[in-house]
Amino acid sequence: MHPIRVVLGKELLDGRRDRRALMSAFIFPFLAPILVYAMMTAMVNLSSQAQKTIIPMVGIEHAPHLIAWLKEQNVSIEAFKGDPQAAVRDKKKDLVVIIPQDYEQRMANAKPVAIELVSDGSRTDARPAVSHFQGLIRRYNNNLASLRLIARGVAPEVMSIVVVEGIDVASKQQRAAAALNFIPLYIILAAFVSGMGIAVDSTAGERERKTIEPLLINPIERHDIVIGKWLAASLFSCLGMVLTLVLCVLAMSQVPLEEIGLNFHVTSNQIVLMIIATLPLGFLASSMQMLLGIFAKSFKDAQSYIGILTMLPMLPFLYLTFSPIASQDWMYLVPLLGQQILLSEVLGAKAVPLIAYFYSAVSGLVAGLGLVMITARLFQKETIIRG
Amino acid sequence: MIEVNALAKSFGDVQALSDVTFRAENGQITGLLGPNGAGKSTSLRVLYGLVKPDAGSATIDGVDVIADPRAAQSKIGVLPDNQGLYVRLTARDHIYYFGRLHGIDENVLESKTNELIKLLDMASIADRRVDGFSQGEKTKVCLARALIHDPPNVMLDEPTNGLDVMTARAVRDLIVELKRRDIAVLFSSHVMHEVARLCDQIVIISDGRVVAQGTTDEIRSQASEQNLEEAFIKLVEAV
Repeated sequence: MHPIRVVLGKELLDGRRDRRALMSAFIFPFLAPILVYAMMTAMVNLSSQAQKTIIPMVGIEHAPHLIAWLKEQNVSIEAFKGDPQAAVRDKKKDLVVIIPQDYEQRMANAKPVAIELVSDGSRTDARPAVSHFQGLIRRYNNNLASLRLIARGVAPEVMSIVVVEGIDVASKQQRAAAALNFIPLYIILAAFVSGMGIAVDSTAGERERKTIEPLLINPIERHDIVIGKWLAASLFSCLGMVLTLVLCVLAMSQVPLEEIGLNFHVTSNQIVLMIIATLPLGFLASSMQMLLGIFAKSFKDAQSYIGILTMLPMLPFLYLTFSPIASQDWMYLVPLLGQQILLSEVLGAKAVPLIAYFYSAVSGLVAGLGLVMITARLFQKETIIRG
Repeated sequence: MIEVNALAKSFGDVQALSDVTFRAENGQITGLLGPNGAGKSTSLRVLYGLVKPDAGSATIDGVDVIADPRAAQSKIGVLPDNQGLYVRLTARDHIYYFGRLHGIDENVLESKTNELIKLLDMASIADRRVDGFSQGEKTKVCLARALIHDPPNVMLDEPTNGLDVMTARAVRDLIVELKRRDIAVLFSSHVMHEVARLCDQIVIISDGRVVAQGTTDEIRSQASEQNLEEAFIKLVEAV
């Protein structure tokens, strides 16, 4: 048996038996799709919520004309009894509208009428309903005003001197696609989480337990030892990534995305291509962790370094979230950034050139190999056996 | 046969070895004696191929350790100072792992392992995970994995350190058995009576150099002391 296979076999056996590390490694791939599902479902509900809200109202009978108009606008209205402020404060209602008793009378005398809207400004989830209602009242007001001006022989345009016309380029689909960015992030995080146990245990752990000296006395090349350990950690890491990818795609297919007009469709071919393009990241993540593990003297020491390392995939994520850019070919060559762009594009149903898959696969693998070579070199040092 | 010649090694400002020369013949037990920090472990680590000396040479059965460390390593079985074990592996897993690293054929690995388990009287613990093993049980696992490839040279760094009377005796019996098999045994120890009783040759190291070597009788007469311990102290303090 080749020494690389011997080391690989031992590390896999050791890793499989480490129940606690195994748990923490593979809880993530199962947690991520649940998060994705919850987030996407919430988003779908939120955007269809505003139109569907039922508006609790006090004094419905005072304003029959307004109510009739609102109903025409597809707004449901329910009569509200009790203390409006308490109901909103206790989060029983998102908002309550109060129509004054003298509504009709003031209306008839052409005097301004104040409708009270009770809401809690600190509640983000109630905001769409509140602003939706305010918008409706503004439109009702403008309609009435125009009619009154016309009745007095004035063109309604005198009211509109400067108007703002909003053009929102972000469609609902695009906003949903931005949320899709989380999936690539989770897949990349899985690469860092799933192989970490073995990567740290086989480097810092080996030094801490003082097993490194007896191991290095065996007549095998140091780089074979390092490669065997690397392959073991990478295998776990890749397994975590594939699990996360497949489970996230499954979770997405369960979200009623068509309700917001998003067409989410990933073919099995695309899944295979995504796996090919991103798996090298598992090798890269493991090599980074092993390199840090070599510098650390103990398992704990290593874990604190590696905790910081895990923030690394967040950087391209934040970059892409806050400054969305058109992807260019060279970006696929940047490890971590390339894979993230590629995954977002495939999931967002954008056309991705085939070369991009190749670029991101190669960049991950080359970077990983480079770091493993550095690690192997550090293994040659005499100081490696000192605790 | 194990040979070192004029070894010198420094770590930073610390001169760990300045002039160490000795040899351990086949079928003989050679004891390496010296106070803590005298250079015993460093000398042994040069022989294991873990530490490169600044000067001097080391050979195992004529193979230069520095020029061809892997070939030299295949001819030695080592119980190092650091007796670390993998807590989630069984005793047998350890022996298999090291056996495979030495390239032992899978067909004979099991029978060889069973032989060692019998020799070291560890059948009851062979298939248990080493987590929770006593010091004696751990040492047995370390010895078994060191001997799985039938090394013609065996080096033991303070093998009886921290062992109970029974296990220490078992280790001494093993050392005698290795000698009977015409193996060159080199071991370091602090226990004078153990060294006096077992060793054919004694090498005393102090402050990075060999201050005396020979049989127990030769050492005693060199120091003109009746007792090996007195002789040891006299020779070490004379440096």
